[in-house]
Amino acid sequence: MSADVELQGVSIAFGDFYAAKNVNVKIEAGEFFSFLGPSGCGKTTLLRAVSGFLEPSEGKVLIGGQNMSGIGPNKRPTSLIFQNLALFPLMSVADNIAFSLEVRGVSKQARRKRADELLDLVALNGQGDKKVHELSGGQKQRVAIARALAVEPEVLLLDEPLSALDLKLRQKMRTELRAIQQRVGITFIYITHDQGEALTMSDRVGVMNDGQLEQVGSCYEVYQAPSTPFVATFVGENNAFSGKVEKVSKGIAQVNVDGTSFSGSIGKTTVGDPHPVGVGDDVMIFVRPESLSLAKGTKAPKNKFSADIETIEFEGNLKNIYLKSSKNKSIRFSVPSVFDTSELIPGSTIELSFSAESAIVLPSGPLALD
Amino acid sequence: MTSNRTFQIFLGLYISIFFLYLFGPLIIMSVTAFNSAEFPSITPWECFSFRWFNEGKIAYDGQRLAGLAADRDLHVGLITSLFIALGVVTLSVPIGMSAAIVLTQVHSKLRTLFYSMSIMPVLFPGVVIGISTVVLWDRIATIGGEGIISELGRNGIFLTILGQTCFISTYCFLIFVARLQRFDTTQEEAALDLGASQTQVFMKILIPYLMPAIGSSAVIAFLASFENYNTTVFSILSEQTLTTVIATKVRLGISPAISALAFVIICMTLIAAVLYEFFRRRQEKKKAVESAAKMYKEISSDRLKEDSKKAFTLPKSIFVILFIFLMAILGWQQIIKNNLYGGECIAKAEDAKKSNFADQLKLLQNNADTLESEGGDGGTGSTNEYNDIFGDPNLFKNFGGFDN
Amino acid sequence: MSGFFKKNGSIISTFFLIAITFWLIFLILIPQLYMLDLSFRPNLPPLLRGGPDDVYTLTHYKHFVFGSETSKDAYNYVDIGVFVDTIGTAILVTIINLCFCYPIAFYIAKLATPNATRLLILALIIPFWINELLRSFAIRILFAGEGVINNLLLEMGLLDAAVNFIALDVALYTGLTYAYILLMIFPLYNALETLDTNQLEAAKDLGSSTLRTHWRIVIPHAKAGIASGSTMVFMLTAGALATPVVLSSPNTFWFTQLIYQWFNMNDNWSRGSAYSIILLVVSVAFVLLMMRIFRVTIGEVVR
Repeated sequence: MSADVELQGVSIAFGDFYAAKNVNVKIEAGEFFSFLGPSGCGKTTLLRAVSGFLEPSEGKVLIGGQNMSGIGPNKRPTSLIFQNLALFPLMSVADNIAFSLEVRGVSKQARRKRADELLDLVALNGQGDKKVHELSGGQKQRVAIARALAVEPEVLLLDEPLSALDLKLRQKMRTELRAIQQRVGITFIYITHDQGEALTMSDRVGVMNDGQLEQVGSCYEVYQAPSTPFVATFVGENNAFSGKVEKVSKGIAQVNVDGTSFSGSIGKTTVGDPHPVGVGDDVMIFVRPESLSLAKGTKAPKNKFSADIETIEFEGNLKNIYLKSSKNKSIRFSVPSVFDTSELIPGSTIELSFSAESAIVLPSGPLALD
Repeated sequence: MTSNRTFQIFLGLYISIFFLYLFGPLIIMSVTAFNSAEFPSITPWECFSFRWFNEGKIAYDGQRLAGLAADRDLHVGLITSLFIALGVVTLSVPIGMSAAIVLTQVHSKLRTLFYSMSIMPVLFPGVVIGISTVVLWDRIATIGGEGIISELGRNGIFLTILGQTCFISTYCFLIFVARLQRFDTTQEEAALDLGASQTQVFMKILIPYLMPAIGSSAVIAFLASFENYNTTVFSILSEQTLTTVIATKVRLGISPAISALAFVIICMTLIAAVLYEFFRRRQEKKKAVESAAKMYKEISSDRLKEDSKKAFTLPKSIFVILFIFLMAILGWQQIIKNNLYGGECIAKAEDAKKSNFADQLKLLQNNADTLESEGGDGGTGSTNEYNDIFGDPNLFKNFGGFDN
Repeated sequence: MSGFFKKNGSIISTFFLIAITFWLIFLILIPQLYMLDLSFRPNLPPLLRGGPDDVYTLTHYKHFVFGSETSKDAYNYVDIGVFVDTIGTAILVTIINLCFCYPIAFYIAKLATPNATRLLILALIIPFWINELLRSFAIRILFAGEGVINNLLLEMGLLDAAVNFIALDVALYTGLTYAYILLMIFPLYNALETLDTNQLEAAKDLGSSTLRTHWRIVIPHAKAGIASGSTMVFMLTAGALATPVVLSSPNTFWFTQLIYQWFNMNDNWSRGSAYSIILLVVSVAFVLLMMRIFRVTIGEVVR
């Protein structure tokens, strides 16, 4: 049984400070949804509001269509996995997992049976009698998940659960979490600041900044078609050029960036309509590093500019080439590492180009800080 | 570096003197418990005997100097002390716990006030707490008329329990506050989230965590109650606790029976200390083995395999114990040799004293007459009063007291 | 308040509230307030209390200062003398205690090996599990006319007649210092332990003598410990009853003994209350004074 979660106009204020401002989103039942954003953007606060530890100052939280206002965390059909896991150190693993059954008065036998089932689900068979401190980080994670799933909640909330793990383990756990979610079929609401996590695991992503939900969409949408400059620069790497609109036609805008004209497709708003950009508006044009290419030959795409190579960085599967444009702007250009970059020497000047379709034009706004 | 050397020597000397000062009186007192002489002393050594632990003796002035086993007052006092201590523990531990938990839940302005109020009892002199309890309940008893209230209000045991609880709760409070400081509150939230009710969170998560604090505060409360004098002496009214019995004895009849009592308590304390140290060392060893095993598992290499065959090392303390044992045996031999032990010795000493006694009796008679003729007025603030209060010193003439 | 009940559940919340109110109000506040009230009332037999004769009066406090109406002295020299004597002795004992315990605390905190530290601390605690009365008794045995010290000195020929140590107050001072050593050492030890040893080494390195190092570096750091220890020792000494009872001589009388006398001998509870209040006020005043001088908060003072 899983339920949908809806946030209607939810604002959460602490005195004068708004941790969340007018958040509206509907998370479908059975969906793996991630709230993605930098530290302090309000995602933990939203999670606590959904789980019942906070009451929203304005707006409503609905789970399965029911208004959760005034209902405490122990009465909601949600389970929360804390960032520090909050496992009970004085109890064994099996007792931890079966705790939610214990407080409901389930018999010892039935509890043990269910604990064994869950241990099996998270691949920790036979570890039931161990004490929590005897387990490794990844094992503790799985205990936390098993514990949360014991009473079959309708919604599972996860607060940056993988942040304490090392890279390889994190990657492994990502796949596992996804697998568990699909097996169990309940709604997962996941919060993280790591966009790699969000993108690999989720069905949909909600990008948050400074208490506001900037964009909700599928991973592909959020990456390829960001609605705001923040989303464009937070999710993945992006080159941003600021300028004024010269011409608009058929969804393509021509933007004057420091004297050069670039064309890019006009981006869409959160509701799906194209941004209403007009001539003379301040806009930003975004080009992904991998969408740049060396301008060679006559059949080059329209947008061209030259830049000086500063450094070349090897990142395993990619090579990142950092350049400075003639107007002293930092540019990042990425190519697969199999690409032959012997001709690209730091200090030399090259010409880069990109197609209008791969560039996005959006109204000016704050960018994600590096 | 001579200055360093002299400094070391000086320091060592200082520390030795310090601990001599600390333990000296106690050791001497313990030794006097075994001297059959009526006034606790080491020289002259009359006879080695256990009499003060058992039946004591009747002094020649008619006063009964009872030994430990025979002293009824002492037994009654002991039982009363135990009863009171139990009562105090039952009250103080929950009070201290409640106060500590609530402290963590109030916001900062109220918190300082609350904390200060909780600490206050420790700053009151014990006598003040005892007095205020008695005074208040006397009034309550008067107002309450006949019946249980008036009976309770004048009952020494009830009043003492209340008075002691007042400040012993603060000790418990502090212990709980320290323990709670390191409590991970997300555990409470996790439990709530998993469906536990507030009461269940309290019983299943908080209490198990606080168990060590509950244990240690119970022990501290018990000990503090048991050995309390200042408050008890005012609130105990007509009853007696162990401490008030001791105090009365000390005032009215100094005898080595008190040394005997002290010796018993010292032995119990030492045993408790040794046991405590023993358990602690064992737990440390267990932890060390556990962590070594864990490390071994994690590294899983042959290089870290410990030798299972470790030589059995003698703890250094064995030598100290052997030394004491040796001394005890030597001392014992001396005592037997000099005929200082046993019924013979005691009989001889008694005879010597009997001849002394007749003279003393006459002296006492004279003193008693003079005191009566002087009379004592019920006034206040005059120096003479103070003597009467703490026992007629004449009684101790030649038995170990002082003339004016 | 409703948040409080919500957080703890109704049963537990009620339990907390009852426990705390019982303690703070009923055991701490009301008895002291009642005693304060009583100190201002005349000494009436139980049945007459609350009646027409029961008016507020300052007679008891006046008695403390001026003496009874029948005495010819201008002031109550005896009672005030006892009071000043007690406070003065308490202060002296506190200072002696401080000087005496400081080197030991410093040694344990800084110079001893960890094993030695544990053993030393254990060795310090053991005597204090033994009742104060018995410890004072031990001192009495030592110092009494036929006590160990006198006997020893007589036999060694150093004395011709027994010295009345008790009357000379030597016994009392020794006993009082002895009684509260633990309460001075532990705060000192705790405070000194937090001192970074590197600071001491740096000072030595820069050429400071040991004395100066202690005066300028160690002692300021141990401020809180000194304040705490001194406060506890002073309070307990001024309010001590057990030790003065055992070790008292005709020349020394302790203020608490005076209170005891008013209560149990003369059955004048109002006057006893008044004197108790005086003792209480002095105690609290001293604590506040220490806190102000050393600039520590009350939380740091209590163990």
